Order: sequence, then C-alpha cells, then structure tokens
Amino acid sequence: MPGSALRVKGLSKTFPGQRALADVDLDIAPGEIRGLVGQNGSGKSTLIKVLAGYHAPDPGAAVEVAGMALHLGAPGAGDAAGLRFVHQDLGLVPSLDTVDNLALGRGYETGPTGLVRWRRERVAARSALERLGYDFSVRRPVGELSVSERTAVAVARALSRHATPPRVLVLDEPTANLPDTEVDRLFSLVRSVRDSGVAVLFVSHHLDEVFVLCDTVSVLRDGRHVATVPVFGLEENALVELMIGRRLEQHDAPASVAGAAGEVVVTVSELTGAVLAGVSFEVRAGEVVGIAGITGSGREEITSAIFGGVPRGGTVSVAGTALPPSRPDLSMAAGIGLVPAERHANAAFLEHSLRENVSIADHGPFRRHGLLSRGRERSDVAAWLERLDVRPPGTERRLDALSGGNQQKVVLARWLRRTPRVLLLDEPTQGVDVGAKEEIHTLVDRAAAGGAGVVVASSDDTELARLCGRVIVLRGGRAAEELHRPDLDADRITALTVRKASA
Amino acid sequence: MTTDAAEPRTDGVPPHAGHGPVAQTSPATPGRLRRPPNLGLDRFSGLYVWAAAIVIFAVWVPDTFLTTANARVVAGDQAITAMLAIGLVLPLAAGVFDLSCAATMGFSVTVVMWLQVHGVNALLAALITIAVGAGIGALNGFIVVELRVNSFIGTLGVSSILTGAAYWVTNGQQIVEGVSVNFLDFGGFQWWGLPLPFYLMLVLAAVVYIVIEHTTVGRYLYAVGGNPQAARLAGVRDRRLVFGALLTSATVAAFTGVVLASKLGSASYDVGLTYLLPAFSAVFLGSTQIRAGRVNVLGTLVAIYLLATGVKGLQLAGAPVFVNDLFNGLALVVAVALAGRSARRT
Repeated sequence: MPGSALRVKGLSKTFPGQRALADVDLDIAPGEIRGLVGQNGSGKSTLIKVLAGYHAPDPGAAVEVAGMALHLGAPGAGDAAGLRFVHQDLGLVPSLDTVDNLALGRGYETGPTGLVRWRRERVAARSALERLGYDFSVRRPVGELSVSERTAVAVARALSRHATPPRVLVLDEPTANLPDTEVDRLFSLVRSVRDSGVAVLFVSHHLDEVFVLCDTVSVLRDGRHVATVPVFGLEENALVELMIGRRLEQHDAPASVAGAAGEVVVTVSELTGAVLAGVSFEVRAGEVVGIAGITGSGREEITSAIFGGVPRGGTVSVAGTALPPSRPDLSMAAGIGLVPAERHANAAFLEHSLRENVSIADHGPFRRHGLLSRGRERSDVAAWLERLDVRPPGTERRLDALSGGNQQKVVLARWLRRTPRVLLLDEPTQGVDVGAKEEIHTLVDRAAAGGAGVVVASSDDTELARLCGRVIVLRGGRAAEELHRPDLDADRITALTVRKASA
Repeated sequence: MTTDAAEPRTDGVPPHAGHGPVAQTSPATPGRLRRPPNLGLDRFSGLYVWAAAIVIFAVWVPDTFLTTANARVVAGDQAITAMLAIGLVLPLAAGVFDLSCAATMGFSVTVVMWLQVHGVNALLAALITIAVGAGIGALNGFIVVELRVNSFIGTLGVSSILTGAAYWVTNGQQIVEGVSVNFLDFGGFQWWGLPLPFYLMLVLAAVVYIVIEHTTVGRYLYAVGGNPQAARLAGVRDRRLVFGALLTSATVAAFTGVVLASKLGSASYDVGLTYLLPAFSAVFLGSTQIRAGRVNVLGTLVAIYLLATGVKGLQLAGAPVFVNDLFNGLALVVAVALAGRSARRT
C-alpha cells in the first residue's frame, strides 16, 4: 500500500530483562485519526519514544513515513521526514512568547543583515494559529496562555513546515491536563489537521475521547499489537476487553486480611486540591487501601495532599486530631509516612550516602546530648539495608550508585524505620525492575500485617489488585467507585478508571 | 613532579604512592582496569599539594620561608578570612548564598568603632554590634525566605545597602581615634606567638564543625542543599532552617568584624569588601577537599592555608604583589574544575 502516511513493520524493543515491544506493525493512512490505547506498561510510550528517535529499536524493524524509509534511533530523522510530535508536557518555554516558541529548533527568519525579521515572524505565527482556529496575542509569554492555547502553540510548532511538510502528527496524551471545555476545542483543532491530509496518531487513556475523535483505534497489550479496529460500531466493553485481554491473574495473592482490620488510623474527609473535589474515606490499621484513576483524576496528588506536601482543603485526622495542612513535619509526628512518586524530585538525596538517606526522617535513636553517634547510625541503617536486601549494601555508598529498585527500597527503609501508623505510597514501584517490585510488594504486606494502615496510589492496576483489600477509583477528582476483595482484579479496576465520567 | 601531585589522580596510581607527600607516577600497569585503591588522592589532594608547596618553598627560599616567624604570620593573617568563610559554610551547605557577609563584617567594624567614639564602653559596643549583625541576618532571612528573592540577588542587594550605610556612619572618613585601649589590646593579644584572632577562629571552626557534622541541624542543612523538596517531604522545615543559616552567617560576620576592628584599630567604610572573594573561594575550593562534593569546615581551612602558603612563598621568592589575586583565582578555577572532572568520571 503506497498510500500510507506512516508504516511500522516488525518493530521490537528489548530493555535489559524486559521486552517492551514485540513485533509491532502499524499502518496509518493520510487524513486518518488513529487512536492508540493500552494499559500502563503496554508499550505505548516506548513506541512513541522509538518513533521520536529517543530509543533505538531492536534490529530488523522498518518505519516508513510517506513511503520514505526512516533512519531509526536518530533524533531529528523523523522530524526531517515529516513525523511530528506533541508530547504530554508540550515542550514549550513558558517565559517566551509564541513567536519564540515556534522558532525553537528551527530558527528565525532573518534579513540580509542577519537581524531577525520580527514583523514577518509575527505575521507567520498569527496565521499558523489562525489555521488551527485560534486567535490570541502571539507576544504574550506562553506561560500566561490557557492550556488549550498552549497546546495549539505546540501543535502549530509541530506542523510548521521546516524542511519538509508534516505527514504524521503524534499527540501523546494531549488532554491529560486539559479541562473538559477545552477538550472540544482541541478536538476541532485535530480534525482540521486531519482535513489538511495529515495522519494523526492520538495516544490517550480516555476511551471516551477515542470514541469521539478517532476513525480507527490500535490496541497494544504487553508490548504486542493486538488489534486495529474501526471505531464506528465498536462497543466500549469490547475495547476494554482488547486492552486487558483474557489472561489469568496467577500471582494474585490475598494480601491483607479484609474484615479483620483494626481501629481507624486516619480519617480523610472532603479532601480537595488542584483536582481533588471532595474525597472522603477512612483507613483502618492493618488494611491496604488502593487509589486508582487515570492521569488527571486526582490520583497523582491524593497521597501528597493527605501528608501535607501540597496544599489541600478538607480535613485529615489521625486518632481524632485534625492535622494542619502543608506541615509534613507535623504529619510525621502524628505517625504518617509518605513514599512519594517521582523519587528523584521528591525523595532522593542522590549525592548523599545511603546512611543519610535512610536516617534523615528520624535521628532520635542515635542522638545523645544533641550529638549524633555515627557508629550507632551506621549499624542501625546497615540493619535496615539488610532487612530490605538493598544491593549493593554499604551504608556509605552514594544513593545514585544504586539501581532504581534499590533506591526505592532505601526510601522505603527511611519510612519503615519509623513504624508509621499510616503509610502512604505513591507509585511505589515506579521505575523499578520486576524483581524489586515483588520485594516491595512483600514489604507493603508486612507493614500492613504489622498494624499500619496503608494507602497505595498507583497507575498500575495490577499492582493495586495485588496489594489492596479495597480500591477507591477516582474520576474527575471524586471517588467514583469502590471495589472490595474478592470482587477486585486489575481488569475491573482498569475498566472503572477509563469509564466515561457520568457523575 | 609537583604538577603531577596537583592533579587528583584516580587511575594508575600504585598503592604505596599515598605515603609520600608527592604522588609518584610510576610506569606501572596502565592497562589494568581494576579500580585503584582509594587513597583519597582527590579528597586529600589539597593536603598533598600543601605539603608539596611547603617543601618547594623550603628549598627555594629557606632563609625566610622556613622560619617560625613566617609560620606565625601566615597563621595569623588568615584568621579573619577563615572566620568569615566558616560562617559562610552554614548557608552554602543549604544551597543558599550570603554575599552580604563581607559587607556585614565591614559595617560591623565601623559600628563598633563609632559606638566607642561616642562613649560606649568596648564590651557593650561589641555586643551591640553583634546584635546588629544578627538583625542584618534576620533581614537577609526575611528577604530570601518570606519575600522569596533569590539569595544571590537578595544578599547582593543587602551588601550594597550595608556598604552605603557604613559610608554614612563614617562620613567616608577613617575612624582612628577615640577607641578604648582595652579593645586594641584584645586584638593585639598574643599567645605562643600567635595572635588572638587565630585562636578565636579555631574555636569558631570547632563549633561549626560539630554542628554541621554531628548534629541534626547539620544533616538538615545538607539535605536542604541536596534536594529541598525531598527534605521538606522528609519533615525538614526548610524555610526556617535557611532563615537560621543566614542569621548565623551574619552574626558570625559581625563578630568577625569586631575582631578585625580590634586588630586594625581603625575603620574605613570599605574595609570588608576585599574579604568577600577570598572567603567564597576558600569555601568552594574547600568543598573539593576532605568531604569532597560538600562545603565543609576542614576543607575550607585546608583551602585557606594552602592558598596562603602558596602566596606567601611566592612573595618571599620575590614575586610582585598582584600574585596574591592571580594565584587565588587560578587555584580556585583549576581545583574546582579538576574536582568536577573526577566526580563525573566516577
């Protein structure tokens, strides 16, 4: 078929110890909007990164853009061939205006003296936005624009013709941060791009958006391309089934003993935040409560809001006493611990020793008359590193010398040492290899068995099914559903997180 | 040979090299990729270079360099810079600049003299001056923590304000008369041939060393310097800590100003500013030493005395006066660049 805008053949990608993509074929026609869906870990982001030239695929793969073979594994090659990307974070510089952001990467038009032709640049920027149906000042800093306007700038930049005209536009989760009212505007933008003959690959977690916008949808599961089907006439349940498949949950060990849970350790009521719009629940000693939800549902901020790491409304009380917001130190004193997501930004002191990383949350045991005893500290931390099987061991090693999984265990040790009454975990196995993941799950089981009330927020629904006695599903900042064991499995959680927001 | 020693060698060094003052480069085993034993050649390179410098100058200009008088001069001259630098270790550990420290010191020199000229007794004048210093630190803290001004810019502004204020107090004139004799005796006091400021510096260094290496506050400072967000989420009250660090560095600077005033016996409004770069250089150069990668007290002291030894030796060997600035600047850039390179290699 010579008419393809994008053709992917036999694309595989193997990371050490893990096959992220296995023999994926895709074929997108000009003027087609193709959805790309799949669970977390299905290989979507790896596929995008390979197309963008960020990862080199395994040998044997071929990608053609408008009939021309693409040199794989080289950033910039796709751009030259007409393969353009708008990533979730948009990649704009907030302090620069639209004109400058459009010029990033391609340069400015200059006159014979080498000076920038600002007037012409502005006119070009304005008309690029007009073509997408937008009209706002191109001289305002991009950071002051609304999210959909910013998205328009990113799309306009992706579509601007530098060497070659655009052939394929890849939109990676473009609506994750977009309010509902602006989603419609983005969709008409995407349609006008489609109408100009460009193929669109639309990556999204929101199945309802796929149904509204896309002509066809491709499903990835466990790194394989399982199906490409027309959206017209497709049932939502059928699509969900394609995403989660019909595999058995063999390692679905019963984690906590539901029902036999102890007293209430933390009460969250009417919790609000950037997205959260009034979530209430209780956690009892010995139970593991899961928080599920797609990106933008409030799942990302809920643990941090409870802990006081980000501003919150509503009340959080431990043992009947309400905790002040934005005071992690007081939350800790009340017995709460938080293992936050995005370890490098929120938890890791990469250049410090494992000893300092573990002990930072509580120096009490090795402080005498105000002075720290390094010997006691070392033996205490060494015992914890051994208990959690951190490798390589050695209290004086720098944290950045460890793999992601071991770094995460170090952060866990920091909090388990305090024997918290309430342990909050946000994406506890993010960037962690399979072996360490299982070990971390076991540690969570043990913390609960030891009497802690545990809250796990995770985008990995299999993980929630593995760990939790009940799972609260967030949609649009509210607790939309609650699943209890034994009616709790990863497929059911996934299906509920992507269900159209009806409330 | 000596230039070899200046480089923090991490490869191909035979195991016995660390025992001599100069690292020997033997032709042995360049092809082996085994990780060399850790001799601390990077962390302690300053000590080796210092020893090497002493040996060189001892051979070069033995009559003047290798004398107890010279050792005393080097030790005493650097006490003021060292005190200022040690005060700086606290905010810099937390990743916060205090560019106003030298101006605070200079302002304190004029204040403590002016007070005495206006009839305040020496001890009271010193205490008031130190309290004023604490006030300046609180102002820095307010600007950085509450107004959220970048510390580099905020303290730079305060530095300029203080220099202006010092001019205003002194009217641009040197204060040379009306100072209590006891006050001047204090600065001129010697013990075992070393001036009092040297001992005060040692006490200050010991106190800051203990705080930063052996207390929770020290750990928290480094944690905030390493990753403020992670520190906050580990229960560290980062804003309060930064405020305290700025308060302390300014108080130390004011105390140093009192000591300097008693040493000089005069005050001019711009006396502080020449100390700014040497103090910062010492802390940054020191951060490549002893506890590599972190600003620390012992490294700072090594850096100060290494530089002072080098400069003194060159001067005695007949080098012109400007060699001081030249040598200090060169040593700072070279040492920090080399330390950065070896850090990237590991």
